[in-house]
Amino acid sequence: MWSYEKRLQFPVHITKTCPKTASLIISQFGGPDGELAASMRYLSQRYTMPCKETGGLLTDIGTEELAHLEMICAIIYQLTKNMSIEEAKACGFDAYYIDHTAALWPTAAAGVPFNACEFQSKGDAITDLTEDLAAEQKARTTYDNLIRIIDDPDVRKPLKFLRAREIVHFQRFGEALEKMKDSLDEKNFYYFNPEFDKQFVKK
Amino acid sequence: MSDRCALLKEIDEVSFFLDDLRLYLDTHPLETAPLELYQEKHQKRLELLKKYADEFEPLTCHCVDLRSNGSSASDTCYPGQKHWTWSDGPVPWEAAANNCSLLQGGV
Repeated sequence: MWSYEKRLQFPVHITKTCPKTASLIISQFGGPDGELAASMRYLSQRYTMPCKETGGLLTDIGTEELAHLEMICAIIYQLTKNMSIEEAKACGFDAYYIDHTAALWPTAAAGVPFNACEFQSKGDAITDLTEDLAAEQKARTTYDNLIRIIDDPDVRKPLKFLRAREIVHFQRFGEALEKMKDSLDEKNFYYFNPEFDKQFVKK
Repeated sequence: MSDRCALLKEIDEVSFFLDDLRLYLDTHPLETAPLELYQEKHQKRLELLKKYADEFEPLTCHCVDLRSNGSSASDTCYPGQKHWTWSDGPVPWEAAANNCSLLQGGV
């Protein structure tokens, strides 16, 4: 289970309204490499992980991703809470406004709604951990792109924090994958599926 | 009475220290120095959370303590009344709740 803590993992304090910036950052809420996909990916994959430490790592990183989702939503909320209709129209935020006003709804920047197909839960530890490593890199690239395009220092600060966390998660998943391999046949890591053919996994 | 902003900043910092260390320990469960560090920072965090709840409002539902919370008139709809304190204080996604910058400089 989870319990809530009434603070952000890293503070978000934005003073300048900018629906345009919000419409880009929303991809890290509901986009293909966003925080919603990240948390659901790890929290779905963990049940069948053969190594319980790795299941624990997925729980902890998946939980942190929920805190990142909250930070992203706080950024979007603060960028749009005082927007005028004129600003929404001028920035191309009007289409989103029609369906959601200034509420939060998970979608990619280009307008594709969140979809569980953004992530996999494949039931093979090697496959899933490799996906997780790629996911952290894809999210890091998205933050790179956002940081390159956004000038407001109040928005850049939390984005830079989130980018750094992707790198730490990549390192930890890399360690988990190495550990997983230690329990497999070093001559052929792909000979069987460690999550399904449990009889072959070394104790 | 402590400074709300400074105390929250201290809680953010020690909590992040633990967030990061937790993941490290997930993949390095036998390393003695980080284990001791975790214990020390964890204890510090508990003390700070209690102090914050006593002086302002509870940040977690486990910090709700109807004997001590809500004693100050700080950010509540029910000043001076015994009440359910969990909804006291600002909501965390408002800019006003995040006034203290965790990291100065470097943008």
